[in-house]
Amino acid sequence: MSRDILVIAKREFIERVRTKAFVIGTIIGPIFMAGIMIVPAFMASRLAKSVTITVIDAEGSLRSLVEESLASTGAPAEEAASSEARPRNQGSTQFSVKPPVGADLPAQREAAKQAVLKGTLDVYVVLPPDVLTESKAEYYAKSVTDFEGIRAVDRAIEKAVFGKRISAAGIDPAHVAALTKPLDLKRLRVSDKGEQEDRGVSFFLSLILVMMIYMGTLMWGQVVMTGVIEEKSNRVVEVIVSSTTPRNLLFGKLVGVGGAGLLQFGIWILALVGVSAASGSMAFLSGIDLPEINPVLIAAFPIFFLLGFFLYASLYAAIGAAVNTIQEAQNFIFPVMLPIIMAMVCWPVVMRAPASNISVVLSLIPFMTPILMFLRMSVLMPPVWQIALSVVLTSLTIAMVIWVAARIYRVGILMYGKPPNFPEMVRWVRHG
Amino acid sequence: MTHALQLKNVRKAYQGHVAVKGLDLEVPKGSVFGLLGPNGAGKTTSIRMAMDIIGPDTGEVLILGQKADKPLRDRIGYMPEERGLYQKMIVEELLVFMAELKGVNPAESRKRMLPWLEKLGLSGWQKKKANELSKGMQQKVQFIQTLLHDPDILILDEPMSGLDPVGTNVMRDAMIELSRAGKTLIVSSHQMATVEQMCDRVVLINKGEKVLDGRVTDIKASYGKNTVNLAFEGDGSFLRTVPGVASVNDHGRYAELKLGPGADPQAILRAASEKLRITKFEVVEPSLHDIFIERVTEVPA
Repeated sequence: MSRDILVIAKREFIERVRTKAFVIGTIIGPIFMAGIMIVPAFMASRLAKSVTITVIDAEGSLRSLVEESLASTGAPAEEAASSEARPRNQGSTQFSVKPPVGADLPAQREAAKQAVLKGTLDVYVVLPPDVLTESKAEYYAKSVTDFEGIRAVDRAIEKAVFGKRISAAGIDPAHVAALTKPLDLKRLRVSDKGEQEDRGVSFFLSLILVMMIYMGTLMWGQVVMTGVIEEKSNRVVEVIVSSTTPRNLLFGKLVGVGGAGLLQFGIWILALVGVSAASGSMAFLSGIDLPEINPVLIAAFPIFFLLGFFLYASLYAAIGAAVNTIQEAQNFIFPVMLPIIMAMVCWPVVMRAPASNISVVLSLIPFMTPILMFLRMSVLMPPVWQIALSVVLTSLTIAMVIWVAARIYRVGILMYGKPPNFPEMVRWVRHG
Repeated sequence: MTHALQLKNVRKAYQGHVAVKGLDLEVPKGSVFGLLGPNGAGKTTSIRMAMDIIGPDTGEVLILGQKADKPLRDRIGYMPEERGLYQKMIVEELLVFMAELKGVNPAESRKRMLPWLEKLGLSGWQKKKANELSKGMQQKVQFIQTLLHDPDILILDEPMSGLDPVGTNVMRDAMIELSRAGKTLIVSSHQMATVEQMCDRVVLINKGEKVLDGRVTDIKASYGKNTVNLAFEGDGSFLRTVPGVASVNDHGRYAELKLGPGADPQAILRAASEKLRITKFEVVEPSLHDIFIERVTEVPA
């Protein structure tokens, strides 16, 4: 009995792990993940842009104010003051101001335009004579998609215009500046281990883990299905079920393929932990925020992956047994995938209110548990009884699904020809 | 005498039709047993029920005199008609895997497979992937797979199909060797000549029912020497009009003449030699082939 399951699981595991796809996937996975974590942070922190700008002032009194304000944007002094509070990886634009060239306004505009076209100047702004009353100015550049830079320019001009208006109203601009000092909202997560600043990155890792459960469940489920179809079309299956029961074959297959999936994820996670641990000592990574890894989530990951995998892969196996080709399987795959897709759709609800009734209920639905309970654990650790209940409910469902799948499997693997319709499958389950 | 395999009143119905209608089958230990029947007669279904691949609706399966269970089924080696190998597996590992499912440890399988690989002309191929082997070679691998766990009973469904004449001989020799070693062989086949030469007992089933059962010699004797085999040169088309000839199986230069009751073979020889140059004349029992055709094409009840 159990000997057969082990023998089959061993074969499945070894055959999967040996494939080129597995080896390449295992190596590329961490590189890819490291890429999506490190590269944006790296780019943002290292590629702070330097922009040359010319201010053409038709109003007459604003140029120096705007230039001053631009020059101080992203200046070390300002950043040093808030570097602890503000994510450093949010790159900032540094402006270097070039005075306008030309005797009068049209000449200045023409000169600036030529300079932009030649590439010696990045941006010029034109402040019309009525800018103080109309609040309208113009931004010229070869591309106008550098939103961060545009916002900085906007703020600089605004500051100058507001200052001017405030002085005109007879109030001291310094006084207003002091009164309207912008607020810096820090995000802090409260947990048992004390208050911890969360800059969004450690949460990002949790999202990667949830995505891994989702992708892993579907991907390895497909592997099981393809394996079953192959056994059927190779006609290997009859020899095997003459030596063991279809149920043992199904179960051994799930254990073996699940093990291969787990091994790959294990290597990936180890690589992630390694990168995070090593990042402190790696020069090029210093100054980049890498996710901190929550050990509870790492420990929970294999459990929730296996729950998802066993649940969906046994359904995939039943499909594989009922059809003859992968093409025929396509019709059956969508209904099986629907619950897990629903879980992904419910993601934002759960993320916004992880402890709400609706989130609790959704995360306890067995077909959604692997995604949503794990998501809740990464957002806000739910009570232990809820986690335990979800695991028990899902395990019971898995036992039921495997029982149903094994019956479809038993009949299906020796059926060739037209795939069954739904009522026929129900009959297989009842009489299988 | 204990039987190697016994089916007792085994019945299996699918929606709409009955595949096997209360079949009794007794395979004596050590015999070479032929299971015959046209396509769709219920042979494969019967074998599958013996192997517990399909559960019978009613009836009982006994192996070596006891109610069949998993350890007893491990005493059987089964080569189905619908067969195949894991194409991407290395032959050696494939054989080890299949034997391990039957409870043989890998080291033992590796040792046991070598003489068989040699006998079947596959030495050196065990390190290749299955899909690098020709179809005939894959079939031989399948055969080794069937006997690697040293079963007492072998069930071979169409063992020769797909083999070339050399392969057929190699396979036949291997089967004879197994039989001499005391194994029970159950062979299901359409190749009547092979069955006739190898089997000591046959069962013929048609439409899910047994229509013939017994020793090959007894069955043939029961038909009497009512057949004339004739090899000739010339146009033999008139043979069916010769008095006393009930039917002719005409191969062009060779014919099997079935005689009517009381016909004299000598009279037929005289009639034939008038128009043909006879190179061979033989009065024999009917071939299994003819008996098969006769029993299967009889007016349906």
